[in-house]
Parts: sequence; structure tokens; C-alpha cells
Amino acid sequence: MTLFASATMPATHWRIRWFRPAMLASWVLLAVLVLLSIYPFLMMFINSFKSDTEIMVNPAALPQQWTLHSYAAVFSANGGLWRNFINGVVIAGTSTVVAVFITAMAAFAFAKYHFVGRNVIFTLLMLTLMVPPQITIPPLYIMFAQLHWINTLQVQIVPTVTSVFGLFMIRQYMLGIPNELLEAARMDGANHWQVFWRIMLPVSAPILGAFAILHFLGVWNAYLWPLIVANRPAVQPIMVSLPNLTDPNIGYLPVWGTIMAGCVVATLPILIVFVIFQDRFMASAVVGAVRE
Amino acid sequence: MVEANGSIAAAAPPLVGQRRRRRRHWGDTLAPYLFILPFIVAFVVLFLGPALYSLGLSFYRYKGYGAAHFLGWSNYLATLRFHAFWSALGNTIFYWVAHVVPMMVIAFLLAIFVRTKFVPFKSVIKPILFVPNIVAIVAASLVFQNLFGTEYGVINWLIGMKIPWLQDYGLARWVVVVVLVWRNVGFWFVVFLAGLTSISPEIEDAARVDGATTWQRLRFITIPLMRNIFLFAFVIDAINSFQLFTEPNVLMGRAGELANEQVAPLLNLLVLNLRSGNFGQASAVSWILFVLIAIASFVQFRLFKSGEGEASE
Repeated sequence: MTLFASATMPATHWRIRWFRPAMLASWVLLAVLVLLSIYPFLMMFINSFKSDTEIMVNPAALPQQWTLHSYAAVFSANGGLWRNFINGVVIAGTSTVVAVFITAMAAFAFAKYHFVGRNVIFTLLMLTLMVPPQITIPPLYIMFAQLHWINTLQVQIVPTVTSVFGLFMIRQYMLGIPNELLEAARMDGANHWQVFWRIMLPVSAPILGAFAILHFLGVWNAYLWPLIVANRPAVQPIMVSLPNLTDPNIGYLPVWGTIMAGCVVATLPILIVFVIFQDRFMASAVVGAVRE
Repeated sequence: MVEANGSIAAAAPPLVGQRRRRRRHWGDTLAPYLFILPFIVAFVVLFLGPALYSLGLSFYRYKGYGAAHFLGWSNYLATLRFHAFWSALGNTIFYWVAHVVPMMVIAFLLAIFVRTKFVPFKSVIKPILFVPNIVAIVAASLVFQNLFGTEYGVINWLIGMKIPWLQDYGLARWVVVVVLVWRNVGFWFVVFLAGLTSISPEIEDAARVDGATTWQRLRFITIPLMRNIFLFAFVIDAINSFQLFTEPNVLMGRAGELANEQVAPLLNLLVLNLRSGNFGQASAVSWILFVLIAIASFVQFRLFKSGEGEASE
């Protein structure tokens, strides 16, 4: 029995063995895996269309009464969860634009220029990959408190803009871009900046896209740092305000319909982007591991 | 000859691998430094500087204002004597060990399984298995909090029982593990799948011609060729596991409160110290975390290296 499909195997071969027990068993297994993978998603969507009271009597089935009440609540809870959603988008979006830009510039220099100190600086940067970023939290807190930046958006953006892993990833890709391409542009009279802006950036678009996705998701997901520096609901990103949604009348009883609707709001935009750019998403997962 | 090429060389940037044949313009010398400047400035101000500051702070008592008092190793010793540190360390190691083995095994078997002829619609199956990874950690934890709720939870409703999944801390630890596996298994599945695809089919074909069984091909060809990817996966996952914070705190915390000490991960100590203004102690905790990550990474490098020796014998 051959387990590995060979590329030359004719399509009919596949059809003949359709009803073999092994085939059936693996289809069942696959169905179970797919279900396990998406069941929490399904419940998130289904429960977001129930009222907070219906969830208590009917947690798992389809809604007896479909309602958009939870979504209305999301957009009014805590003075508007939509504001926290926008905070999250602004924080992650700004950080990503800045990070892609400064990281691409640095990666270009490290990949395509000779300069004194290049290898030393690059090696030192790579060594810091071992260091958990959380060690900078106490000093950063002190620094930003002195700047009176606690409870602002910028305090959640600024510390996230450097990514040594991104530098490694982008430089690795740029090393593979032929020098002739850049030399040709130089001969046509392009200056250093134009070579970077007009040639290097467009040619590196695939890796920059992968890095942008990774970075955006990283900042979008952040919970620890915003929890420390953003106590005021007006500046909190959605990730910090979501777990805080409680019944205004009964204190800390969580309102599950509203929370699930909030989770949908936090997930749906990324899900849509994922459906469109799924290959780039999955490539960004692989980039560090396999391409080395 | 040099003269003849002069005009071309003058136009060329000082690129890697190219000999410079003229006196460099000062702008050419400066350009790379200007390109790295924003990154380096940000890195020094936001990471390197604070990291060194944090190392210094860990030897002082500092409340964020007023004078700092030098304490020597006291912050470290106090942390190590603190019983909450040991329970947090135990919890963190539990979360790591309990999820990493099933997760990696499932991800690898899935990758092998999806490559077989038994699996149709590969281009649809792959994203479906990956999709839990794009759900925000907070959202995923909240959904599982809903699934595993005691009174109004989906699972208890389905099985018709009232199991206190998240109130019984022995069970709650396993719910954290379930979330970690659910959210990350698809990520490593995609990584392993790419790794398997990068193995040239000729090697496997040759082995098959030589009469190697499926198991033999897996054991002696596929797994050894995947060694570096496994090492990467285990090291990255260990680093992430020691930095675990969101899942247990959202699952077991109530309305933004941190989780109970009995299920708390290590980073909770950092937050608690920070909230009580013990910046020195908070820094010491973070450096202990660094040492633990370094040890965990080193041990795994050694394990994989010794495994390599075995395989080649």
C-alpha cells in the first residue's frame, strides 16, 4: 500500500478506490477535524445572534429568536465598543506602516551595502532575538509615565515598531534579489533613495506583505502591554475592553451575547482579509521555518 | 581599463560583491547608515536602552519616583523565595509541556495525512485547519470561556452535566491546553506541510523502489530531513510558552482581573509587581524569565543535537 500520492498517479486510480474502507475512514476523520477546527467559530457566530438572556437557557442550539440586539449593544457598551475597535485598528495599522517602512530600509542596507560595522551590528541585533521583549516593560512604563503618555494611543504604538525578526526575514529575501537589477537602475541615474523606493520596495512586495500581516496580527493581538498602559476605556484597544463587558445592572456577570458579538466584530475583518489573501497568510507562517 | 569604465563605476552604488574603482562620494558612504538609522534609533530607544535599564533596575528598589536603593541580589532572591513564583513556574511549565507534545504530533500527522491521496480538496482543507490561528487570542479565549462555562456553557449543555471546567483549577489548566492546541495546531500543520513539500520526491521514490515500507520511509527519511524544522518549531513554541499570558488570564480572570494564583503563568508576577510599583522586582522577574527561556532553548538544542548523532549511527 502506498501512503504517499505520487504526482504521476492517474486520476482514475483515485476513483476506483473510492469506497475502500481506508478511504471512508479518512474522510470521517477529516470531517471530524474540520468540525473541531470550525466549531468554536460556529458557536461564536450563532451565539452572537442570541439575546444575553436566551444564551442562558439555550447555549448551544440555533437561536430561537434571531436578534441583532447583541450587535446593537456592542456598539453602545462602554460608551461604544466600536471606538475600542477603531483604537485597535489605528494602533496596529500605524505600527505596521512604520514597522514595514523602517525595517525595509534597514534590511536594504544590511542586504545590499558594504559598510563599516555591518556584520557586527547585524549579529548583535540577531542575538537580541533570544531576549523576551517583556524585560523592557518596567523601564518603558517609567519612561512613558514621565512623558505623561500613559493612557494614550501613542504609548501603545511606539514600543511596537521595531521587529528584529522582521529585519532578518526581509534581509534574507533581499539577499536573493540580483545586484544587476540595482546596478541597472543606478546606471540610469537613480540615486540611493530611488533605487530603494522604485526598485527594492516593489520587488520585495511579497515578503513585505507577509511581514505586514505577521506584524499587524501581533500588535492587534497584544494584551499584556495595553492592559498595563491603557486603563481608560476611551484609549483601550478592543482586545482589552472585550473581556470587560459585563451586565450594567448585575455588576460582573458577563453578557455572553454581547461578548460573542464583540468577538465577531474583532475577528470578521481579519477573517475576510484571510479569505482573500490566504496564501500570503500561510506563507508568512512558513517564512521563518522552512526558508532559512 | 579603470579609466574606460570610470563613468559606469561612478554611477554604480557600492553594492555587495562589486569592487569600488573610484574615490567614493561621501554620499555613497553615508547612504547605508542613513538607511539603518531609523531602525537603529528606534531599537536603541525602545529595546536596547530599556533592556539595559531593566537589568540595572533589577538590582534596585525603585518605586518609579524618588531615590532608588541598591539591593544587590535581593529582588532575585525575594522572587525565588516567593511561593507564588514556584506555582507560576509550575503552571507555565505545565501549559508548555502538556500542549506541545499533542500539538506537534497532531500537526505532523495532519501534514502527512493531508499529503496522501485519501484527502480531497486539499486547497480548501488547508485554510480551514489554519483558520483558528487568525482568531485573536482574546476572542478565542472568550469563546472557549463560553464553551466551557459551568451554568450556561455549550459543552455542559451538550453533555447534560454541570462540570465546573473553569472553576475547578485542575480542570481549568486543561482548558488552557485545549485552547493552545486548538489555536496553534493549524499553524504548525502548515509549517510542517511546507517542510514535507520541500523534501524532493525523488528521495522517497528511490526508497520505495528499494522496498522501504511506509513506516520506514517516515522514520528514516522524512523525520530526519525535517529535523531542523522540528527544532525551530519546538524552540519557538517553548519561547512563546514561557511568555504565555493572555489565554489563562482571559479564560479564568473575571472582567479584566488577572487569573487566580493557582493557575497564573509567570508573567502575572511581572504585572502584579508593576501594579504595586515594585519596578525593581518586576525587572528581576523578567530577567528570570529570560534565563528560563535561554535554558529551555539550550536544552532543546542539545536534545536535537544528540538525536542527530543517534540517527547517523
